[in-house]
Amino acid sequence: MPSSRTVGLVVNGESRSLDVEPRTLLVHALRDGLGLTGAHIGCDTSQCGACTVLVDGRAVKSCTMLAVQAEDVEVTTIEGFAPDGVQHPIQRAFVEQHGLQCGFCTPGMILTASDLLSREPDPDDATIRRALKGNFCRCTGYQSIVDSVRTAAAALREGDAA
Amino acid sequence: MTESVIGVARARVDAPDKVTGATRFAADGHVHGLLHARLVLSPEAHALIQRVERNAALAMPGVVAVLTADDLPLTGAGSDRTTEPLARTEVVFAGQPVALVVAENEAAAEDAVEAVVVQYEPLPAVVDVEDAMLPGRALARVVEEEAGGGDMESIHAGVDNGQEDGDEEQLSDNVLDTVHRSSGDATALLETSDVVVSGTFRTPWVYQAYIEPQVATAWLEPNETLVVSTSTQGSFVTQRELARAFGLPLERIRVVAEPLGGAFGGKLALMEPLAAGAALALRRPVRVVLTRAEDFQATNPASAQVTHLKLGARKDGTLTALTARMIVDRGSNAGWGVEGITTLLVAGPYRWKAHDIRGYGVQTNRFTFGAYRGPGAPTAAFALETLLDELAAELEVDPLELRLQNAVVEADVGVSGNPFPRMGAVEVLERIREHPLWKTRASLPADEGVGVAAGYWPGGTEPAAAVCRVNQDGTMTVVTSAVDMSGVNTGFAAIAAETFGLSPDQIRVVAADTATGPYSGASAGSKVTYTVGAAVLKAAEAAREKLLKAASEELEIAPADLEVVDGAVRAVGSPDHSITVAEISAKALRFGGRYEPIEGHGGSAQTRGAPSVAAHLAHVRVDQETGEVTLLAHVIAQDVGRALNPALVEGQMRGGVAQGIGWALFEELVHDESGQLLTSSFLDYAIPLADRVPDIDTLIVEVPAPDGPFGAKGIGEAPVIAAAPAIANAVAAAVGIRLRELPMTAPRVWAALEDAQA
Ligand code: FES
Ligand code: FES
Repeated sequence: MPSSRTVGLVVNGESRSLDVEPRTLLVHALRDGLGLTGAHIGCDTSQCGACTVLVDGRAVKSCTMLAVQAEDVEVTTIEGFAPDGVQHPIQRAFVEQHGLQCGFCTPGMILTASDLLSREPDPDDATIRRALKGNFCRCTGYQSIVDSVRTAAAALREGDAA
Repeated sequence: MTESVIGVARARVDAPDKVTGATRFAADGHVHGLLHARLVLSPEAHALIQRVERNAALAMPGVVAVLTADDLPLTGAGSDRTTEPLARTEVVFAGQPVALVVAENEAAAEDAVEAVVVQYEPLPAVVDVEDAMLPGRALARVVEEEAGGGDMESIHAGVDNGQEDGDEEQLSDNVLDTVHRSSGDATALLETSDVVVSGTFRTPWVYQAYIEPQVATAWLEPNETLVVSTSTQGSFVTQRELARAFGLPLERIRVVAEPLGGAFGGKLALMEPLAAGAALALRRPVRVVLTRAEDFQATNPASAQVTHLKLGARKDGTLTALTARMIVDRGSNAGWGVEGITTLLVAGPYRWKAHDIRGYGVQTNRFTFGAYRGPGAPTAAFALETLLDELAAELEVDPLELRLQNAVVEADVGVSGNPFPRMGAVEVLERIREHPLWKTRASLPADEGVGVAAGYWPGGTEPAAAVCRVNQDGTMTVVTSAVDMSGVNTGFAAIAAETFGLSPDQIRVVAADTATGPYSGASAGSKVTYTVGAAVLKAAEAAREKLLKAASEELEIAPADLEVVDGAVRAVGSPDHSITVAEISAKALRFGGRYEPIEGHGGSAQTRGAPSVAAHLAHVRVDQETGEVTLLAHVIAQDVGRALNPALVEGQMRGGVAQGIGWALFEELVHDESGQLLTSSFLDYAIPLADRVPDIDTLIVEVPAPDGPFGAKGIGEAPVIAAAPAIANAVAAAVGIRLRELPMTAPRVWAALEDAQA
């Protein structure tokens, strides 16, 4: 068996150490090693975005990164996105604007939206749609997701506390 | 009275868990001692298995077993995907599972798959469905198998197959089923019709593309109960299928349907026989999670179809007759096909004076056919709605008016031979006629156009039951075994709240498993809200009766003079005389309590379906240089019976349209001539992405279903059906070309534009 090594990760603000093989993907380390199953696996070609997490605040498909590459960064998963148990305004907007059906794409959508809104606080719909191009949803037809992101943007601009 | 909660938009009951990552999908649960299985798939489309060499794989670290069909304790007769989850002697499509590698972790299983060597003796691959029908052609399956006993067809559609008749065509044994529906002399009527149009339409294999890949986990409890935790649309049907596969009594099988990451028809008893078979063989927990590449190859997409269709009309626009010959590619599915439903739906929501429709279910060496949202419907609608537009053009009448003039109304007899129940075909067409997009279509820029189309889904039925239980704190738990595919639990909460007299926030909806839950069929065929919802309504009524009986004793007022408002029972006309639901429940649910628990059981068994119909407008721009079609706007009007929760209804409508956009413009599973799949990733198989789906305007039309809860009906399938032909008709309106094949990719449109110029 390929030799495993111990990596130190900072995930959702906590330092965790984990034995992984050099080839282990971050998404597997999060799911299997840390039980953070909100990062979903929807494909094997790094296209669907279901596995999206934040790496130093930027949306990254966690199937495109090795666990060992995550040693010196801060990883945020959907479980740690609103650490005190209160919904983040983006999460709230997805609930209120019906931005999900099966919910499999939802964590990735929310974290991708977080990245977008941190860079562009007032995106138009076309910008939102472009930003979500790497996150597949088969259920909603996207419109309610776009509505959710637009609503979240407004809430964040009005200083709705995260 | 408090305000009604029916017809009010509310957040989904499962939304809070889904936005925080708290929802555990079927691949997420931790199971002690879990083994991971990976599939060995056949690279051959058609071959005999000569030998499976497994020693090299078994020698690899972490590998526990390499299993073939003979290693699984299968007892069921037949060669369907339940009774033969791994190919026994013959592989009948490329991608068919041949062996399972089971290892201590996924990576080890994956590595070892490469080391399993299977020797095949190739056979001719049957990939051309029309050719396969001809007498004397090579067969797609050569080893005779006894027929199995599955009931997958009735799960989705449950239509009869028309009449049997004597005028047998000469056909090969690849034709597994024929359907003939006829009434009147359609051929003669077409000959005397003022206008006749015809065409041959082709639609490809199309993949459900749920974002959660197929997954199932199985283990044996110490008491020998087989537990299967899975991503499925139906727990009881999966339990039945597993009993059939392994010859186990039902009570030894417990199926737990986990939250479903999308299914659309495709998740019914495909993975469970594999996981269960391995768990029974190895007596350890086993999980099968497909990679996306495996999911593309080894699952059950929608059939390819060829439809030859001819329609006629009189000068005054009255439709006369239609004749159709519809060839359905079932791949390896010997159990059922969509020829029954597609031959029904090719007539659309319209009146015909005569018809002659033939359907053929044909086996080939391409996939195993499975259901996909409105199985057999989008393919039929593409042919019919395209030709209706051509008919309107020949008649020089407005295509929407032509449809309206011929739209069915209640009691019109359809090609099923049965009268249509009340359905809003006229109403949805009238709604889109008023839409600005339709009214202003004449003043669009060059290369833009608006198209119209309509389609309906008959709606399924299946007896179902539910329990409503008031807890000690006065909240209510609704228990059903329905899998929440489309938001049905949120609808159940509204139904129970409205019926019982609580607010929806005080209601939790729980999905039980086969060991504990009341009966419910699979979430398929647009029937859950209609059937299980009706059961919830009755269960809430029964619970309310118990509540009023107890309150009547407490308040010393007759039950008939009581009402339930905002969680309290009070005297009608004297609201101060009241007692809360929580107080009553607390008096019942305790040692020495005086009242029966406030619980109700309800069941439903509707005997008629509640069809849902939708009309679409699509607005496209066609780039004449490249052939690229851009959908600029889309409108859908749908008869939903009653929108229990309009936000969720709109979500279903938009989701269906988006999948219809996929049919129209992007999606196509392609094989080469040897039967190899060329499209086994999202790189090669495009689904509509956020920047390619426009805003979709939803118009809710409510024509109540007499037997549905508050008039609601199943609405999941109808919105997908006529989206593609609306887009095709828009392309014709924009640039004057008519495609006979989906999807309308840029190269195809470009070629058609070139042809039109030549
Ligand atoms: S699983 Fe990472 S992009 Fe699909
Ligand atoms: S909600 Fe199901 S994939 Fe997006």
